[in-house]
Amino acid sequence: MAPAKPSERPAAPTTEVVRTPVEGACPECGRSDLKQYPVLAFGGWFQVVKCQSCLCSVRREPWTRLGWITLPEEGFL
Amino acid sequence: MTAAGSMLVGVDVGGTFTDIVSVDEAGLITPAKIATDPRSSDGPVLAGAAAVGVERATVFNLATTAGLNAVITRNLPKVAFLTTQGHRDIPDMGSISRPVEFLTQPRWRRSFGDANRPIVPRYLRRGVRERITAAGEVFIPFDEAQAREELRLLKRCNVEGVAICLLNSYVNPAHEQRLKVLVREELGDIACSVSSEVSPIAMEYPRATTTIVDVLMKLKYGDYTDRLQQGLKAAGFGGEFNYADCRAMLMPASYAMERPYRLVVGGPAAGVVSSAHFGGMIDDGDLICADVGGTSTDISVVLKGEPWVNPTFELEHDLNVSALSIDVITLGAGGGSIVSVSPTGDIRVGPESAGADPGPAAYGRGGARPTITDTALLAGILAPDAFLGGRMPLYPERARAAFEALETPMPLAERVRQAWAVGVHNIAEGIFNISVRRGIDPRDFTLMAYGAAGPMLLPAVLDVLALRRVVVPPHPGLFSALGLLSADLSFMDQRSAHLILTPEAAPKLDAIFKGLEESLRGQVKKAHGEVEFRRSFDARLAGQAWVTPLIEVGGGDITPEEVGRMQVAFHDTYERRNGNRFTRFPVEGVTYRVQAVVRSPKVAYPSVAPRRSGGVPAPAATVTLNFIYGEDVRAQVYQRADLCAGDRITGPSIVREEMSTTFAPRGRSLEVGAFGELIIT
Repeated sequence: MAPAKPSERPAAPTTEVVRTPVEGACPECGRSDLKQYPVLAFGGWFQVVKCQSCLCSVRREPWTRLGWITLPEEGFL
Repeated sequence: MTAAGSMLVGVDVGGTFTDIVSVDEAGLITPAKIATDPRSSDGPVLAGAAAVGVERATVFNLATTAGLNAVITRNLPKVAFLTTQGHRDIPDMGSISRPVEFLTQPRWRRSFGDANRPIVPRYLRRGVRERITAAGEVFIPFDEAQAREELRLLKRCNVEGVAICLLNSYVNPAHEQRLKVLVREELGDIACSVSSEVSPIAMEYPRATTTIVDVLMKLKYGDYTDRLQQGLKAAGFGGEFNYADCRAMLMPASYAMERPYRLVVGGPAAGVVSSAHFGGMIDDGDLICADVGGTSTDISVVLKGEPWVNPTFELEHDLNVSALSIDVITLGAGGGSIVSVSPTGDIRVGPESAGADPGPAAYGRGGARPTITDTALLAGILAPDAFLGGRMPLYPERARAAFEALETPMPLAERVRQAWAVGVHNIAEGIFNISVRRGIDPRDFTLMAYGAAGPMLLPAVLDVLALRRVVVPPHPGLFSALGLLSADLSFMDQRSAHLILTPEAAPKLDAIFKGLEESLRGQVKKAHGEVEFRRSFDARLAGQAWVTPLIEVGGGDITPEEVGRMQVAFHDTYERRNGNRFTRFPVEGVTYRVQAVVRSPKVAYPSVAPRRSGGVPAPAATVTLNFIYGEDVRAQVYQRADLCAGDRITGPSIVREEMSTTFAPRGRSLEVGAFGELIIT
């Protein structure tokens, strides 16, 4: 879903993170339905590439929401 | 003999050993102990059952910690968790409580519990688009298409079971029920637990964890129960097969399989039920129960004949299960607790334990560190040739070598004396802390001493802590397993509804309690006989965030007058637990509970005849007690089987039996009670 402009009220009932399609096939199920998006897990924020069919995690890298700026709550794991 | 003149079998499956005990028509107790096989624990149970002659039994009661061990070790089946969209991290967030020592520590993270090792991995926790308000109205309609999409995804992930917990489903379960139907349609006949059926009570976190634990236990115990039932049938058993729940109350196996979350911790509570049962026989209802094993001491309280019960328990830190459970506190102090020297040069005992392997140094199995068992051996309380009825030799020279290897300038005598004193003080301190925390005065309580090492260590606590007396029951080494033959059948149901207790609330409260009783009546079979319903409720002062649990309610119709009595009962319970009474505040009922209790055949301890000749029993031997009194002291040794009711012995003295040794310290007197119990004052 495209993000709404700051002045607009979102049309959808819920907001969801933007998932970017990624080239390639899933090593587990072979489908080419990979998408990249940020995930907040118990280990902190991660940028992941996951198969949308079987949820296999193809890539998972630590990520910070503000780039090189690390917030105090993100720095203690 | 047993109360109903029938043979009973109780089985306690522990992490290391499976204890089996049978009591036949004549009161003969037959024990068996078999190593637990963690890969297939039904094998040892069936082998043990055959060893005690299960084909003659009418009742087979089983308690197991297999569920607890599976959760702790995360040896769990692959299950999914479905919740309201946006709330799939409920299990990680927990109740947002943290240990008190970390309250001001910003770096603290949950390094334990289900945060780092979630019982359901995050990718299998899926959100469903729906929302029901706290008033039970539909705020966001249930999105069936989206739910089906998530279920198809779970099917591709090959989940074995599904736990469903939607927000506010305890008020309106419509969306959960529909989702359950969709699970059947999309995933087929797999294990499925729904929070509004499993635990329809307020607060989504304990409701979610209870539901997840329920589906895990369905998978863990389902096949296991089938295999056991078939095995018992093949062995010729045709009686009742019951499980013991977290309160050590019994449930028929078929009923238990519909709500297996109540089985997750079945074993530790059995000793408390055994104590309450035996306490009733000797007319003593106020007990502190202490089960001293090899590694730990389990302590709990029985007040006026009833075990101290909590409405929830923690499987591990902040992993809550909403089931009635006996409050058992565990201390790291037992017969195998290791004696060491602290950095400041003091003798320290525990909390590390030598365990069963290698065990204390005196076992001669390679253990090189001294333990409390080695201390008792060197002190002369334990005899090298009388341990476990003489079947297991002890080696005093190895115990001595282990003590001599401690890095301290103290002489050996002082090392042993201090080790004994510190071991006893550790337990005394634990008992004191637990009793003070519950607002009870230990001077009014009897200490029930059981477990293999309890009768040896606990009478010495009398020298440290003011207790009324110490009672060593018959068969202290088997006392927990005998607890499985001392409990009643129990069926329980509960509901949540936030209602201010006013006369106007009476019809709603009446409908809730009668609905619960009606539901239970359908579950209790007529063959079970007469049923006693026990009502209780959890409530709070209006505005409080926590509840005062298990307030008793009278039977019959809930009239406006009865609501008034419920208010008074709340304030009484609140004052007893917290020391204050706030009668001007309105009381809000939260959870309502009904237990259906069916009397079950129990072990009845035979009475012991008094000595005809009168006087003092003749000792079997005399030994010298070394070290613990700073000088050598002579103590008389008796065989428990030779003692008669009314016998009086002066301490120091030692009473030996096959699975335990009782030590009455110097200056104490020991009297034998009507059932052969040893009363030390």
